[in-house]
Amino acid sequence: MLNDGTDSIESIAQRGTLFVCHDCDALQRVPAVEPGHDALCVRCGSRLFRNPVGGIDKPLAYIFASMIMFVIANTNPVMSISILGLVQNASISDAALAFIHAGSPELAAIVWLPSVFFPGLTIVGLFYVLASIRFDLNWPGTRTLLVWLSRLLPWGMLDVFLLGILVSLVKLAALADIALGIGFYAFLVLIFLYAASIASLETHTLWEHLGGDYERQFEAENAG
Amino acid sequence: MQASVGNAMEQGIAGCHTCGLAVRMQADGETECPRCGSEVHYRKHNSISRAWAFLISAFVMYIPANTEPMMRTTAFGNTEGDTIISGVVYFLSHGEWYLAVVIFAASVMLPLLKIIAIGYLLISIQRGETVRRHQRTDLYKLAEILGKWSMLDIFVVALMAALIQMGNLTSIHPGPACIAFALVVILTMFAEMALDPKLIWDRKE
Repeated sequence: MLNDGTDSIESIAQRGTLFVCHDCDALQRVPAVEPGHDALCVRCGSRLFRNPVGGIDKPLAYIFASMIMFVIANTNPVMSISILGLVQNASISDAALAFIHAGSPELAAIVWLPSVFFPGLTIVGLFYVLASIRFDLNWPGTRTLLVWLSRLLPWGMLDVFLLGILVSLVKLAALADIALGIGFYAFLVLIFLYAASIASLETHTLWEHLGGDYERQFEAENAG
Repeated sequence: MQASVGNAMEQGIAGCHTCGLAVRMQADGETECPRCGSEVHYRKHNSISRAWAFLISAFVMYIPANTEPMMRTTAFGNTEGDTIISGVVYFLSHGEWYLAVVIFAASVMLPLLKIIAIGYLLISIQRGETVRRHQRTDLYKLAEILGKWSMLDIFVVALMAALIQMGNLTSIHPGPACIAFALVVILTMFAEMALDPKLIWDRKE
């Protein structure tokens, strides 16, 4: 049977679940949350969790589209310039390669990891986890992967890189003729798809699907 | 909703840092989250001293990041170094003030504000302050979101270097400030991750 992405939250939330606020440690019982609404900490106001409309289907669709756009954005030139008849193309990874040519492999890594490797790993990893949960496939390592993805997330910097592209566009426009490549448009679409998948995704929901019984177990053990 | 809420730690319960599950803690402190397998603890270990160590290192790196050249441009045999500030001044004098604002905000203001914010949070925790807890929690979350934008100029230099490769005519190379900037971003991210925002709420009023 397929998970529709909402059963777990509804069954648990009928009584309210014990929650510890991630930001202030307030212990509280959280009642049911309607789809499209957030549960906020009663003390500090931080978001405890969301119940996004669309369950798991929506982020899975966005992340699948992100995967395609990621490949296109990384295999096509982002922009090209021509100075005195010489044309030079650059893809996203070329930015890091330029630092290798300049003799700074450590800087190349600092550029390549947050602009290509971490986002790519996050996108593929999330697809694996979401597909595994959505279609009840129980693929190996789903839990471990989700643990590592939540630690990896802050190190992906696609949005900062996009601003970097825009700033260098303006800088170079003063020096040479610039043409935007397919990679640029794909990258632009990728940013929106990636942001949409993160925004429609709630790790709390994923963890409930992976081990929904623990919260009820905890309730039973601590009922007295 | 409860009229008053207490800390989970007082009830012997901790929230798993990774998956958020409320976990009953073992008496000896060594507890594994039954759902995701991560180690669960009430507060991050040595939060204050680790955060200070990262923060002070970040501040030390902030100095060469701003005084050393970010980018070296070689044109017709002449090499010129550009610091962040000289880039900002260049754009201001050429009327592109919006670029100047973006670069100044991301490269000069943001890292400094993040260092000051985390330093203030650490001092307020160590002094056991009980006021403005909401604002301090919000400040922590703001520092969490904004820090990565300081990577902007490194990406710009990389893209410029990738595009301007005209052999002996013109070329762009990264300066020593690049690695310093990257370290400021990484170290302030480590400092913010080491700092446990729950400490803000620990002292009773």
